[in-house]
Order: sequence, then C-alpha cells, then structure tokens
Amino acid sequence: MSNKRIRIDRFYQFMTYSAASIAVIILSMIIIFVISNGSGLLNFGLVVNDYHAKFYNGGIDNNITFSQTERPESLTSEIYYSEKWGIGLIEEENREGNTIISVEYIDIDSPLRNMRDKNNDNNSLSLSEGSIVSSIKFYDKNSALTIHGAEHMINELDTSDDFREIVYSSLGGGVRGSIITTLYIIGLTLLIALPIGIFTAIYINEFAKKNRVTSLIRSMIEVLTGVPSIIFGLMGLAVFVPLTVKYTQADSANLLSGSLTLAVILLPIIIRSTEESLKVVPDDFRTASLALGANHTQTTFKVVLPSALPGIMTATLLAIGRIIGESAALIFAIGTAIKDDISIFGKSTTLSVHIWSLMTDEPANIELASTIAIIILIIVLVLNLIVKLIAKRFTKNFG
Amino acid sequence: MELLKKNPFRDKFNSKKEAIDYFVRTFFMISAIISSSFIIIIVVFIAKEGIKPFITDNNGIGSVNLFSFITGKVWLEGTAFLSNLYGVGFIIINTLYISFFALLISMPIGVLTALFIAKIAPKKIAEFLRTVVELLAAIPSIVYGLFGSGIILVFVYNFAKIFGIQSKGGNSVLATVLVLALMILPTITALSEVAIRSVRSEIEHGSLALGATKTQTNFKIVLLSAKSGIFTAAILGVGRALGEATAVSLVAGNARSGPSFGFFETTSTLTSTMLQGLKETVGIDYDIRFSVGLVLMVVILLTNLMLNFAKKRVGNINVK
Amino acid sequence: MENTVFTINNLNLYYDQFQALYGIDMKIKRNEVTALIGPSGCGKSTFLRCLNRMNDLIEGCNITGEVKFNEKDVYMNSYDVINLRTKVGMVFQKPNPFPMSIYDNIAYGPRCQGIKDKKVLDDIVKKSLTKAALYDEVQDRIKGSAMSLSGGQQQRLCIARAIAMEPEVILMDEPTSALDPIATLKIEELINDLKKNYTIIIVTHSMQQAARISDKTAFFLMGVLIENDSTNKIFTQPKNKKTEDYITGRFG
Repeated sequence: MSNKRIRIDRFYQFMTYSAASIAVIILSMIIIFVISNGSGLLNFGLVVNDYHAKFYNGGIDNNITFSQTERPESLTSEIYYSEKWGIGLIEEENREGNTIISVEYIDIDSPLRNMRDKNNDNNSLSLSEGSIVSSIKFYDKNSALTIHGAEHMINELDTSDDFREIVYSSLGGGVRGSIITTLYIIGLTLLIALPIGIFTAIYINEFAKKNRVTSLIRSMIEVLTGVPSIIFGLMGLAVFVPLTVKYTQADSANLLSGSLTLAVILLPIIIRSTEESLKVVPDDFRTASLALGANHTQTTFKVVLPSALPGIMTATLLAIGRIIGESAALIFAIGTAIKDDISIFGKSTTLSVHIWSLMTDEPANIELASTIAIIILIIVLVLNLIVKLIAKRFTKNFG
Repeated sequence: MELLKKNPFRDKFNSKKEAIDYFVRTFFMISAIISSSFIIIIVVFIAKEGIKPFITDNNGIGSVNLFSFITGKVWLEGTAFLSNLYGVGFIIINTLYISFFALLISMPIGVLTALFIAKIAPKKIAEFLRTVVELLAAIPSIVYGLFGSGIILVFVYNFAKIFGIQSKGGNSVLATVLVLALMILPTITALSEVAIRSVRSEIEHGSLALGATKTQTNFKIVLLSAKSGIFTAAILGVGRALGEATAVSLVAGNARSGPSFGFFETTSTLTSTMLQGLKETVGIDYDIRFSVGLVLMVVILLTNLMLNFAKKRVGNINVK
Repeated sequence: MENTVFTINNLNLYYDQFQALYGIDMKIKRNEVTALIGPSGCGKSTFLRCLNRMNDLIEGCNITGEVKFNEKDVYMNSYDVINLRTKVGMVFQKPNPFPMSIYDNIAYGPRCQGIKDKKVLDDIVKKSLTKAALYDEVQDRIKGSAMSLSGGQQQRLCIARAIAMEPEVILMDEPTSALDPIATLKIEELINDLKKNYTIIIVTHSMQQAARISDKTAFFLMGVLIENDSTNKIFTQPKNKKTEDYITGRFG
C-alpha cells in the first residue's frame, strides 16, 4: 500500500476520533460547568429552605436579664461574639452572592430568644441560628446595618442595654417549593398520562381491527412527537388554564393545568413504549389464553399486560425524566412564579422553570441556577442509567 | 336465571364475559380517541387564539395586517409601543438561518461520531461513547441554556472582541447556532449510528475484497449506504432546532428587527419571541404569541415536507 | 510466470474453540478453474476466504499453516493484505453492488488505488464490462443506478468490478446460488471465457456445475480435504469411498 494512501487513511481515521471526542468533551464541559458554578451552594439547607426570605421585626422589653455567657470554645475566630447578649454573628455570602450577617450561635439564656413580635403583639419571637440579621435599630444612636459589618453590630450591641428593633429574616433562595412542585407535577402527570397512554396502546395493539381508522389514530398520535413543547405550552394556556380556572378554585395558570399539559406531551412516549413491549409478547400467549376459555379482557390483563410491564416501567422512568427537564411548555402552562406554599390549584414552578426564572432575572443568578442544574442532572442521568439496565435485563429475558 | 332474564343485555351478549369485553373495549377505545384528538385540539385552539390579532381591533391598537405580519421586518410590542406593527418575516428567516448553521456544524460531527461508534471503536469504547451520547440526549434543554449563557456567551463575547466587535454580552447568532448545534448533536449521532449499523455487511465485504482499506470502505461505501437513514437524522435534527425554545431565548438577545445575518448580531427566533412579554394575560401581546405559534407550526410542517421530498429525490438516484 | 498460483500447506482454521479446517494441503494451478464441492458446512467457503484473508474480518478466527500466493505466505505479518485483495478478487454468494451508478461501481476499486484520470477510468469501465459480457446490455445506462439491474446482471457487474482490478485470481463463493437458471447459464459461459486470462476458484453447491465448468475439483468433508484431482477423474473414478458416496448422491 502506498504511503500516500496510508496518510489519507490516517487523516480520515483521525477525523472520526476527533469527532467522537467532541461528544465526550461537551458532556464533561457541561458537567464541570454546573459543578464548578453550583457546588458552592449545594447543601441540605438549599433543599429544605424557602425561596422567599421571611422577615421578622423583634423588640425587647425594658426589664430583661442579660445572658452574660462566656464565649464558647467551639466558636471560630471569624465569629464576633457578644457576652452580654449571648450571640455570635458571622459575615457570609448568600446564594445571590451578597454579603450577609448571619447568626452563627445563640445562647440558651439570650434575651433575643424571647422577643416581642412588633407586627403582632400576641406573638413572641425567638431568634434562631441561621437567621440573617439585616439591621438593629437603637433608641439613641444610629442603626447598625449589614454594610457596617458584623463586628460593628456586636460592638453596638455590647455598648447598649436595649434596642428599638431587630430586623432579621430566614435564609431565602432555597428550592424547597420548586422541589415539592416538581414532585406534585410528576405524580399528577403520571396519574393522568399513564392510564390513558397504556389503555390507548392496549386498544391499538390488542383490540382494534387493523383498518384505516386505527392507522389514522396511530398516525395522529405519532404526529404529536414532532410537535415542539412550546406549542404544547400554548395549548395548555389556551385549553387547560381556562378549564381549570372555570372548574376549580384556581384563578390563573396552576399545577393542575401544568400537569394536564405535560400529560399530553408524554402520551406519545408512553403509548409508543407500551406498544413496543406489547408487540414483543408472543401471539402464542394470547391464543393459549383464549383457548383456555379466557375472554379478551382477561387475556389482556392477566397475560399480555404483565409481560409488557418492563416496557411500561421504562416509559414511566423516561416520562419522569422528561417532566423534570421540561421548561418551555411549563413556562406557559404553570407560569414562572417561584412560590414556597404549594397548592395544586395555585401558582408555583418546577425546578427547570426555576432555572429559567433565575436566568431571565437581571442580573442572572448563574450560581443558584447551576446548583439546581446539578440536582436535575443527577436525577435525569440516574433515571437514564436505570432505563439502560432495565433494557439490558429485558433483552436478556426475551432474546 | 331470574336475574339473567332481567338483564337488558341478554339479547346482545351471550354471556357476562362478553359484556365485560364489550365495556372494556369501549373504555379503551375512548382512551385512544382522547389520545388522538389532542393534535386536533392543539391546532384548533392555537388557531382560534392566533387569528384574533388579525380580526379584532385589539382594544384600539388596530388589527394586525396579515401580509405585513408575515413579511414584516420589525416587531414592536403593541401595548408598550401602542402599535400594531408586528412582523415575523425576519424572525422566520432568522429561525431558518440559525437552524441551517446549527445543522451544518452538527451533521459532520454527529455522522463521524456515529461512524466511529458503529465501525471503528473497540467494543468497550463504543459502549462508553454510546452512553455519553445517550446522556447528552437526556440533558434537559434548560441546562443547555444555562451552559450557553455561562460558557458560550463568554466565549462568543471574547471571540467577537478579537475582531474588534462589541457584541451584546455575547448574545448573538453565533451563540444561538452553537447552543442549538450542541442540542441536536446527540439526536443526529444516535440516529446516524442506527443507520450505519444497519448497512448490510455483504456490501462492506464487497468493498474490502476489492482491495479498499477499512477506512475507504467506511467513508465511501458505509456512509453512502446509510445515506437515507442519515438524512432522516438530519430532518429530526432540524425539527428539534426549529422548535427549541428556552435555551435559545437565553442566548439569542431578542432582536426586535432584522433579519440578522452577521454572526455577532443579536437575533430572535420564533420560539424566543413567544417567550417575550410573558406577563400579559389578555390583549394583543397575549394573543400574538399564538399567532407566532401558528407560524412556527407551519414553518416546521413546510420544512419537514420539503426535506422529505428532498430525501426521496436523493434516495431515488442511488439507493434502493 | 510460475505455474502454481496458490500453495497451501497444513492449513488449520479455528473459530474460537471450534476447528473448521484440518491440515489442508493443496496446490492451485494458473489459468484453471478449480471447483470446491462438499456438503453444507464442510469448510469450502471458509477455505476460499482464507485465500484473500477475508476471514480476518471474523472475530475469534485463528489460522495456522501456510497459504502461499506466488511463493509468498500471505499470513506473514509483513504481508500487504490490501495488495493481496487487489490481486485476488472475489465474487460473493448474493450480488452485492454498491448503491451507486454502474460506472462508479466498477471505477470504485481503481479509484481506491488512487487512479483519478477520467480517461483511464472510462477505459477500465468499458473493458471490464465487456469482459463480463455486460457492456451491450447496460451501455446506454452506465450512469444509472446499479440497483436497478436484474439479479444476474448485478452478479455480472460484481464480476466486472473484480476484473477491473486486473486480478490474477478470482474467487467465487457460490456465485449462482441466488440466480435463476438462465442467469446461471450466462455466468457459467462467462467463467468459461474468463479462464483464459484468470485463475478461478469457485465454491459450488451443484455438482453438475462443477462438472460443467471446472478443470480441477476438490472435495471437502467436515473440514478435511478428502480428494483433489482433475474434474474428470473425480466424477468418473474417485479414489476415495466418501467422494464416491457424495458424487453419487448417497449423502449431502
């Protein structure tokens, strides 16, 4: 073989190697990107915290007993501590990247554990660890604000015997609400889509005669797979939102309208996957069952459907992945409002749309978005690997 | 027996079993009818909302002229600008232009990767790459959008600087093309691989027996024989590119006039335009989204028809 | 030129654990038609594929012994397989034209060798088609798709494609088994024509075909070469009892 041919061959080979490596590079870049941007915020608090910080205004009575506890040994040097009030403050960065002063330690005897709620006299307030102190207002001197720093705040407290008001909040920016919404939506959507999808697949495959009507039904469902999800979103907006507003207590786009929209998106996926697994079931099973005197219904439910179970499982897992990842349709069908109190008939949003909201804010919050992306990626990738394992098992059983 | 006589279905069904069969069957049929009716519901309801801007006076703004809507070069939001100058002509062109370039980038990479996986790589590496491609396909589009705004925008911004061009934070045609190219790559790779693997081995052996090298065979015979399947991959890739919304809206820059042909200009696609003005719940800015949705559906339908026609023409010349 | 093209010494072939060929010794003479016969699975096709190393493509296939082509062992590490396959052409059981035009099918091999000159290629295509007795039938649609030809024409195209490389040997693996009797007859006539210029080794299922077209016949059974002699002798006075049984149709 001539040298020139060898060189040309090598060149073409090299091109396939480089092309294939691009896929690997892209995947690693995406993973590295979300991890490097998002891992800083990834902790348990993110998952259980509310997104919207709750603000409290606490006041104290005149006759209080100060705590006068010595600084505990466990506190690190970055923490500023007041013996008199029994409180340790630290400067941190929040999920939006701003500096905040948070309560790192608070003594059991601290007077701040027992405050009046200035917005509601019947309530008492207790400052807890993890709260964000935004300001302390005094009677006779200037307020201590976040921008003055934690050290200043402690000094001002130490030199005062009382204060007018302490304004503090819970740490916001959590995604608890969006996680709950996502879980609700997964449940609701599957509840709607699975039965309709499976029954449709059974009808087409087991009951329907092979005529033009059946093939029309099949191709009408097939067309749905080519429709972009944003179009489904429009349909949700035009059909399901008014429908749910009319017949439920909802007054705008809501979880139910979002689930209904997603159910329509998932129908073709579930139908196809179920049908494929129904087709694998050998006809002998059906004839054997019918020959034993079972009717069509019994045959379907007792013989055919159990064999199709792995396919239905796969479809369910893929559907969950799709629900978690879906954004375009839900922007229309649920809306982009991030909420902490979740109701089926209320507004709120899933993790994916949460990312979209964060990214379309000015300025965009890439860190928090990346953290959510890590959560989404882990779930979606794990689901896909499980599907792969099931597929392997399944082919082993029948092949 | 007494009971059986009273059964109104007695004449119709010979046994209880048959009656159950009948009801189950009807029930399943209703499911099937519901499933298949959604495509009609989609078209009817989007059309119903989408024609409103053209036939009503939109609360005094005036009705939108259909012809200038289809051919228009500017998009002025009505309630904000008190105008009925909605044009999607340039947006249609932008959308097609961007999808074309995305395909131009993804096709060679995707097809070569598929060839590598199917014919060249050792089994273990092929299995690994197949998993990589599947995972890429499983990544939600919003994550691609996030990656686009975090990495690709920065890259494009700096790249434009080299040419002395100040881009709008990297929001541009190029960024949109790159993000879309990433997103359709797994689709094209996976489908091309199936097409390549289904090439009959006799044809390959025929080429090898003629003294062609393995590489010559792969590039000249295998790819040629898989042409029809690869074309299908391209059609699906284009379909995805045309309909992709959230990721695109994060990197396009939402140009209000155009078309934008320069790679560093901001742009807008049909989908990104639909995601504008989300706050509206009534009025023209609400309705017009449906009109754009209608246009998107027509564009996708026409592109598909044209590409399928082209596929048949290409197929007829050489492939069985 | 040497009179012997192939010399095979003690050739054994294994597919993983299974041994498919046992100690084959054989000589193949230039410009003769050698037919390989035997029942299905006897190893005749496997043997044929050793001659141009097409068995290399099968995973787990191992070979010991020598296959000498023009005095050189083709299984030596340094041997250029690509070059071997240009010298030893092959026609397969099922016609396998490439999904391209008739012209491109025949020009494919030369192009792979780096021939680009259009005049040279035109010449090669015309010559090869003529030699394969196909030119008259297809000359007006030479740029048309090869897939539109009939099965027999496709097989002759495959022969023309092999001839275009100007090989010394053409291997044929049951080339007529997928064709109707008339197409078969045409291919057989063609083989008779071609043997003036080429050495042909043909695997065939049909003993009549072997008797009609070959000079030498080799009978394989269970991976063993039972008998190898002139066709006339094999069919009229076989030395081995097993050969006689097979020829007379007692098994197979």
